[in-house]
Amino acid sequence: MNGVLTRHPLFVVALFAPAAILVGVLTFYPFINGVLLSFTNYSPLYKDTSFIGFDNYAYLLEDPAFWDVVKNTLIMIVSSVVIATVLGFALALLLDRIPVGRRTFRALIFQGWIVPWVTVAVLWGWIFNADYGIINWTLRNLGLIDGILGWTTDPVRAQIVIVSGFVWRIIPFMMVMALAGLQGVPDELLDSARVDGAGPLQRLRHIILPLCANVMLVAALLQAVRLFQEITLPWVVTQGGPINATTTLSLYTYKAAFQQWDFGLASTVGILWTIALVVIASVYLKFLLRRHD
Amino acid sequence: MKHAGPVTGSTAQNAVGEGRFTLARLAVATIATLMMLWPIAWMVSTSFKRPEAVFELPPRWIPEAPSLAGYEVALSAAVLRYFLNSVIVASATALLATGAGALCAYGLSRLRFRGNRAVMLALLGSLGLPIPLLMVTLYLLFFRVGILDSYLALILGHTVITLPVVVWLLKDFFDALPREFEEAAFIDGASPAQVIRLVILPLVRPGLAAAAIFVFVTSWNEFIFGMTFISSDTYRPIPAAMGLLFLNEFQYRWGDTMAVATVVTLPIMLLFVLFQRYFVSGITAGAVKG
Repeated sequence: MNGVLTRHPLFVVALFAPAAILVGVLTFYPFINGVLLSFTNYSPLYKDTSFIGFDNYAYLLEDPAFWDVVKNTLIMIVSSVVIATVLGFALALLLDRIPVGRRTFRALIFQGWIVPWVTVAVLWGWIFNADYGIINWTLRNLGLIDGILGWTTDPVRAQIVIVSGFVWRIIPFMMVMALAGLQGVPDELLDSARVDGAGPLQRLRHIILPLCANVMLVAALLQAVRLFQEITLPWVVTQGGPINATTTLSLYTYKAAFQQWDFGLASTVGILWTIALVVIASVYLKFLLRRHD
Repeated sequence: MKHAGPVTGSTAQNAVGEGRFTLARLAVATIATLMMLWPIAWMVSTSFKRPEAVFELPPRWIPEAPSLAGYEVALSAAVLRYFLNSVIVASATALLATGAGALCAYGLSRLRFRGNRAVMLALLGSLGLPIPLLMVTLYLLFFRVGILDSYLALILGHTVITLPVVVWLLKDFFDALPREFEEAAFIDGASPAQVIRLVILPLVRPGLAAAAIFVFVTSWNEFIFGMTFISSDTYRPIPAAMGLLFLNEFQYRWGDTMAVATVVTLPIMLLFVLFQRYFVSGITAGAVKG
């Protein structure tokens, strides 16, 4: 094939040019520019920009508020991904054992995955509404609370609102991935284990979980990376409050750029984030590959 | 199940036990599905309520006197404008990202060269690039070029975040297609344009559909570029518009808010019903390989 195509050099150029230009101008160049910006105090509001070395980095790394944001982001994303992975896997195990209607259940549960984030956001605002929300009403009826529980006024409760939204939105993805993983578990293996007297829990622990672990770990990593990017839910539901409890790293960057108009600082957050991501992802993947051997 | 004989004492008894299990599993699956879907049902229910009925306690799942007032707002000219903006941006992005991505994926699939794999990995890695960082630097770029507050700014922004996925998805697709037809066509003197149009396109249509749907849905969903690159109602896409309405004019107007939310969700659900298999292949493609 190489030979055939090299006779049409213009065609080869035409194949790669559009994507190369798009990625070059809209990803590569902005990234380099972001690195440069992080060493300046650039703001669209001021005419003068000066080079300030590592000042932005030093400022962030020494700012306890920034570390709070990092901590809260990690708490929310890790707990969301863990909960969704467990629940998604449990759902898949359940659906895998249903003789009829499996496709229907899967399609119904999958609906959560296609609901736009902004819909999840306003919907969560409504069901967690303090005065008229259905969650508070249900809790009151069950006798768990009296009166009104302010979900967005307390740091931990606000985080619960965000985490529950994240979990709800990504469970379907985890379930689909788990179903794909379960397809890879040979029936003969399960049958012979059953014949050898292995109970359902033993089969789960010693056969199903080890065989599905890699798919689920990759799916969890993908979702964690994606949730770091997610900004709609905290932006709309809690605006990052109370006192930064639900300010994710992405919301923090947004605020630095478009509320304080400090593009230098915002870029610095982005660069630190990229560095952390590369480190964490490579450690995680190395761990995955070692498991694989 | 297939093991007859000494292992299972009485198959008949087993079948009864299995049947009872199956019923229990169906019941649990139904409950689990309801647990997942009730927020959507609650949204639709609220969207049909009159403004006073929204605050009724105990809440009613079926509105007593259903009202379309919310949908009059959701389908008013002002809100339809946001929908139109989203349709324009998402369609144009789907064309651009799928087109550029398909060409690139085809090249990567058919041309073996050094660094081929590195390009694929770099594309995958670029998905991890913080979108907020892109938001800041693209904002600056678009500001300098003078295309802030235009469809183009959004189309380009959304193309960047979807292109790598399209390339991955379609590279798999092209890899699975036999090359012999193309080679034969080339050898018979067909031009590249003819080969693409007559040989490749007919085969790759399902892949293109999956990619285009993925791009459309991502663009329809995207919030923060719409929030920052766009400053006028003329170009504002529906997610950003909805966030702003929710926090400003629509405060306490839950019926209206839920009606708009329902209408935002509907096109995606419709796409899903029509193209279910593409959705699932779209989300599993990249991941299972990893």
